[in-house]
Amino acid sequence: MLPALSRTYNRLIAALAVAAGVAIAVVCIAIAIDVVMASSGLRPPIWVGAVTEYTLLYLTLLAAPWLVRQKGHVTISGLRNLMAPTARRILEKAVYLLAIAVSLLLAWFGAVLTWESLVIGDLDIRSFEFPRWLVYLPMPIGLTLVAVEFARLLVRGESLHDDPPAEGL
Amino acid sequence: MEWYEAGALLLGLALVPLALGVPVFISFLFANAIGVLIFMGGANGLIQLVSNGTVSISSFLLVPVPLFILMGEIFFHAGLAVRVFDALDAVFGGIRGRLSYLCVTSGTVFATLTGTSMASTAMMGSMLVPEMNRRGYKSKMSIGPILGSGGLAMIIPPSALAVLLGSLAQIDIGALLLAGIVPGLVLALLYIGLIYLQVRLDPNAAPIYETEHHPLGRKLMLLATNVLPMGFVIFAVIGMIIAGIATPSESAAFGVIGVVILAIVFRRLNWEVLKKSLTGTVKVTVMVFMIIVGSSTFSQLLAFSGASSGLVSWATDLAVDPVAMLLLMFLVLLFLGMFLDQVSQMLLTLPVFMPLAVTLGYDPIWFGVVMLLAMEISLTTPPFGLLLFVMLGVAPKGTTLSEVALASVPYILCSLILLALLILVPGIAVGLPDLIR
Repeated sequence: MLPALSRTYNRLIAALAVAAGVAIAVVCIAIAIDVVMASSGLRPPIWVGAVTEYTLLYLTLLAAPWLVRQKGHVTISGLRNLMAPTARRILEKAVYLLAIAVSLLLAWFGAVLTWESLVIGDLDIRSFEFPRWLVYLPMPIGLTLVAVEFARLLVRGESLHDDPPAEGL
Repeated sequence: MEWYEAGALLLGLALVPLALGVPVFISFLFANAIGVLIFMGGANGLIQLVSNGTVSISSFLLVPVPLFILMGEIFFHAGLAVRVFDALDAVFGGIRGRLSYLCVTSGTVFATLTGTSMASTAMMGSMLVPEMNRRGYKSKMSIGPILGSGGLAMIIPPSALAVLLGSLAQIDIGALLLAGIVPGLVLALLYIGLIYLQVRLDPNAAPIYETEHHPLGRKLMLLATNVLPMGFVIFAVIGMIIAGIATPSESAAFGVIGVVILAIVFRRLNWEVLKKSLTGTVKVTVMVFMIIVGSSTFSQLLAFSGASSGLVSWATDLAVDPVAMLLLMFLVLLFLGMFLDQVSQMLLTLPVFMPLAVTLGYDPIWFGVVMLLAMEISLTTPPFGLLLFVMLGVAPKGTTLSEVALASVPYILCSLILLALLILVPGIAVGLPDLIR
């Protein structure tokens, strides 16, 4: 039961990252089609801009847990390098606990916000009307999964610093 | 609470976890969560914090960030960069220091085609350093130019960092991208001048060696087939913004399509390339955007608590010379750059620096270029400059961090000369965007 659950969960995290990659490709093509249509006198679909904006939001929050697993979120090694190995391990555990606490706290308030918005039924008005609770929804989902991933690192005793440093700009 | 107490508290709340190794986005979320509890009234503040996070990244202005990164990923993974490099390699004859010159030229071309510095530096490092060592180049002639040229990608468009800066500072992103062109090229010329000077002063640093001779016709042919087509992509990005056909977000989409078309034409596009490029893009994009989500309330807190306006009016009341104040801000950026990544640097300083710069009478676009320059330098300053570590990763075994850092010093001086030029002749940066506006 548990291994099956864990396999499904792992697939979910990976699938969310794949979806993020596909979403970036689709956004790129949609914008190009939009411009070509507009410049050749056709009326481009009005939803491209807004859908692109929501896509950025969803892909970021839903692929964030995968990036925790990949150890791709930036950290600054700073004081860590000056510490003894035992102190480092304790510090690392504290870092994970803080990350879990912060993510869960904001996931909770994200869920409250999503729920309130669903009950009121308010709309996010861009080039079309979109239920606002769907704008807030990726927050509680993404941050909860981020917390789970940090918990996974904590339980497995993995270090964020074992792998090469994250890529940057 | 006085403004300086509020400012110190907020900065401390962000910097302490950062220093302890808490991931940057979590550090900012932590600082904001405590900050809103103090300054914005409890649970409502926390709800506001979550809401701000969703608004911060659902913005069309940020579209070029993933797309500029994707352009670069495809450019490198599809092997287009190698083609440019090989063509330029054949063009340079047997002059002294040829590999160093090759580095600056190819770095400049890469900068016009990619949005990020990391890939560019890693690529030049792994291709050039082994050859430079074999030819007996000293590290100031090998590692130095690679570090310097890698940073050009941040200033010369397309630059993902310029897009972030423009969107966070709410200045015209198109204008900021254009404003980077001339300063970037001037910097590349300064690098070339520096290499010339270095080989004149110390000819043994870059021993001359026999190279394969290519007739002129062949050289032109190589340039025409391998470098010229890249101009098509440059036009797709920069040309479309200049011509006013497309916004930066739209031109970024055409930039990606341009690179994809080139990869198809050169028969270098396959599933593996696409997969690797998209994976790399998701990694960097999510990393950057999560920091933005995490810190989206930070500037509001600085404003709300009175810290940013307090600091701005305090600094203006000092009535020091605007140039001195500019240099001070530049120093602060360099100092922060020693410890922080560029996105965090911008998020911490922009809420104060941008209004301050405008109060002092500086053009926001011009100031944006100055900030990019400071961040370019901070990539190569110890102890945490990212490019130093990229370089260490690809340099031969036994290369030390101090050796790498020392080699970058003359190139940092070139950036400082550019800063002086920008102060004396602001038109270097704002001339081009002003012409079009």
